[in-house]
Amino acid sequence: MKPARLGWLTAALVAAGALCVVFPLFWMAVTSLKTVPEIQRLPLHVFPDRWSNLDNYREVFQRQPFGRFLLNSALVASVAALSSAVVSSLAGYGFAKFRFPGHAVLFFGIIGILMVPFQSVVVPLYLWINRLGLLDTYPGILAPDLVSVFGVFLMRQAIEVVPSDYVDAARIDGAGEFGIFWRVILPAVKPAIATLVIVKFMWTWNELFWPLVVVNSPTMKVVTLGLVSFTNMYFIEYNLVTAAAVVSVLPILAVFLAGQKWIVRGVVMSGLKG
Amino acid sequence: MRGAWTIAMAAVVAVALAAPSSWAQPKKLVFWTHWEQNPEFNKFYETRGKDFAQKSGYEVQVVTVPYQGYEAKYLAALMGKSGAPDIFMGMTHHWCGQYDFCDKMPADLAKTWDENLPKYIVNVGKWKGVRYGIPIEHGNFQQMYIDTDLFKKAGLDPDRPPKTLDAWLAAMKKLTVLDAKGEPSQVGFALRHKGHPVGITDKFLPFAHAFGARMLSPNLEKATTFANSAEMVAALQFYADLVNKHKVASIAFPTPEDAFGQKRAATIFRESWFFGWVKKNAPDVAFKVYALPCGKACPGAGNLFPWTNMVAKSSPSKQAAWDFMRFISNAKDDLDQHQAQGILPVWTANLESAYVKSRPDYQSTQEMLKQPVPPEYYHPKSNELATAFGEAVVAALYGKGQPQPLLDEAAAKMDRILKD
Amino acid sequence: MPPAYLKRQRRAGLLFVLPAVIYFGGVFLVPLLESVIGSFYRTVPGGATQFVGTRLYVKVLTDPTFWQAVGNTVSLLVMSVPVTVVLALAVALGLHRLRSLKARSAWAAMYFLPFSVSLVAAALVWQWIYDPVYGVLNHVLAALGVPPLKWLQSLDLVRPSLALVNVWARLGFDTMIFLAALQAIPAEYYEAAAIDGAGAWPALRRITLPLLNPQIVMVAILELIFNFKVFDTVYATTQGGPAGASQTVIMLLYDTAFKYFRLGDASVMAVFVFVALLLVTLLQWRLFRRQVEY
Repeated sequence: MKPARLGWLTAALVAAGALCVVFPLFWMAVTSLKTVPEIQRLPLHVFPDRWSNLDNYREVFQRQPFGRFLLNSALVASVAALSSAVVSSLAGYGFAKFRFPGHAVLFFGIIGILMVPFQSVVVPLYLWINRLGLLDTYPGILAPDLVSVFGVFLMRQAIEVVPSDYVDAARIDGAGEFGIFWRVILPAVKPAIATLVIVKFMWTWNELFWPLVVVNSPTMKVVTLGLVSFTNMYFIEYNLVTAAAVVSVLPILAVFLAGQKWIVRGVVMSGLKG
Repeated sequence: MRGAWTIAMAAVVAVALAAPSSWAQPKKLVFWTHWEQNPEFNKFYETRGKDFAQKSGYEVQVVTVPYQGYEAKYLAALMGKSGAPDIFMGMTHHWCGQYDFCDKMPADLAKTWDENLPKYIVNVGKWKGVRYGIPIEHGNFQQMYIDTDLFKKAGLDPDRPPKTLDAWLAAMKKLTVLDAKGEPSQVGFALRHKGHPVGITDKFLPFAHAFGARMLSPNLEKATTFANSAEMVAALQFYADLVNKHKVASIAFPTPEDAFGQKRAATIFRESWFFGWVKKNAPDVAFKVYALPCGKACPGAGNLFPWTNMVAKSSPSKQAAWDFMRFISNAKDDLDQHQAQGILPVWTANLESAYVKSRPDYQSTQEMLKQPVPPEYYHPKSNELATAFGEAVVAALYGKGQPQPLLDEAAAKMDRILKD
Repeated sequence: MPPAYLKRQRRAGLLFVLPAVIYFGGVFLVPLLESVIGSFYRTVPGGATQFVGTRLYVKVLTDPTFWQAVGNTVSLLVMSVPVTVVLALAVALGLHRLRSLKARSAWAAMYFLPFSVSLVAAALVWQWIYDPVYGVLNHVLAALGVPPLKWLQSLDLVRPSLALVNVWARLGFDTMIFLAALQAIPAEYYEAAAIDGAGAWPALRRITLPLLNPQIVMVAILELIFNFKVFDTVYATTQGGPAGASQTVIMLLYDTAFKYFRLGDASVMAVFVFVALLLVTLLQWRLFRRQVEY
């Protein structure tokens, strides 16, 4: 097939796939603009009767201090993302470019944490957080989120492919180890760092189980806890759940779009290298 | 100098972030509940707590915990003691039976409750004869809701509901409408068939009890010959036939509440909170509430999830907690609190109040409460037992086996659980 | 290599990984050990714990319900992981070909959107989509003349339906990893290949895929781990039903710990999950990994 035609086909497939992927979210957004009778109406109507129907959103914010939840989630997710980026980059570099006794054990030990179901450590972890007096506090919520195993893995893989010659050349030039890390490695893996920050931010933003266990006060709740309060043991309030979900996705979108620019810029820079 | 100020400000901020929220505030009793769907009910504790604070100095703070995951949160907190609530809502046989987290109720208060609860609910909140908890929900036994319009359309009189299971089945058949492909487009009975098996068991038990069967032996120590008795097999066969033989119920209809609200199911067995839901979410459904139809026996007012308020043993404010419970343990508070949310009050005296008399389920509740108390299953392992049992029920509904072997297997499993 | 140099290397390496090691050791190791120790104890009514040695291991590992859960989990894995990895690669390659950076960013953002929704919200939305009566999926099928399917309420379809939700939720994440890696491959490689006259397919096989090996291995491992541990999607929708057809190991673990109050048994399951995942990950690492440098 001619390259140009292949190009068009590829673009079309990518676009079609994207639309399929986005459809459930579109459905979610559209449902958030409907009233309960509208949602249950048959035959199915795709679009809401009134596009300006913001009642569900009003109720979401009225029932609980959802604005405060957004703030809490933003704070927690930002701190987690930044600390993860820093510590994971350091560790990823250490594992990728250095050989020291026990490096395989330590690396797999860290990966191994991913293999532990969180449900089985939640009670012992809670008891420790309790002993430290950190229940219902920001540090308490952050405790299991400060460094990301995925981050260590990702940074290791990303740094691994940076040519070791660069590192050796810098060493010969007399640069200190941390200086090499700062000036040679980090710039080369900007896309990976941006990816890590975005992913970790989102992952922490959407965490439910740990905040559920460790948060008591309404003012310390995070967005996921707010969302789940529209479901209970009897039924699900789809109109409110979808509205809350839309509200909780918007800040993440902002982070993602901002981060995307950094990835692209990082790409341009690494294209200049070599 | 500037550096010192910055450090000082940072320290203040850090301390403010880390400080527990109970610094320099009036004394509080912390109350945990997972009844998110009843905000007015929960708020009542705080409102009355303010009155209580005037004589005792203790306010009440209500913390609503998501139902999804509440067991993990309760367990961790009660084990951790210092992060635990003072008062919490749950099932007595779990937290006071399986675990020892509850404080025994003072004798005078226990007497008050024993004397003022209807007979079917007296044992709720007790473990091995000792009272730990106060029941908060009276109407969590199921009753029959019927869609009067659909009844009329099928030629049935909505004022003369079926009273026996046979009559009920005949009515169901009349109320079921099949489409061109032979699949039901309208069913007589909205069946609960999805979700956790414990919920499935809960919905099946009225049928089991109506056939004279029981899930466990009276002393709750054995399952075989009870869970798989001839009566239970007959009950499960009847239940499965609703779906597979008579097609008056369908597993293709998602939630029974939605089916009823959409007028695609003519009857549903649900608890007393349901008519509040119908009024709000399906206001154009005309309905009536009746007692459940009887078989060999009458289902009676049974329930698998007896919610109670308990006081934590580890609470440093135990005395104050019990004082608060005493403060609201009277007929008026009981009536006010339950009326605010639209659910049935718990005190016998209140069952004849104007509020209760004005409810659509007044007559049916009276009728069902007159029936003998059905079997109770307040065992610490009730969740696991009900799950094992529920799996047999679901399998039968999905046509994955015959009732007898399914129940035999479930009974054996339940015995293993009991013996463990 | 002079010994002093090696020594400095080793020390530097250790120092770089130290913050992460200390953190994980402090936050996870101790609770993990407590949980493993808990697998040798059972809780008796009253709340006390009693040492029972390996009795719980025998109990759990001979329980047919446990193995049914393992089977369900493996079945979900087989349906989700390969599809996710291959699709993510395909989409990343497709996105990479787009000239316009704006278009690439826009489409990439759309693929990534599902990842930005919490799993609980996603599960609830999909449950609504899968609804046999009100769900849009059955409506689309009806328009095509296909009879409605029971999706999450069908014994046969429940696992594929859940697998689809997982694939949908994870696709964007893996696509982004692949895309970032693709964009980091120096253009010279492709230019050299083009000069040699290599077409698109050989270039893909000989340059792109090998160079992407670190990311492919990582994504495969992560997807396997994630799908094995899936909880939120199942908990929010089917709760393990119907009739246990969607009960995964973690669902069973959660119920065992918090609904049946058998923490010891749950710890046994956790140990099993850990060992199984460790073995499979090591296998993947050994078999598929290649040392790669640009």
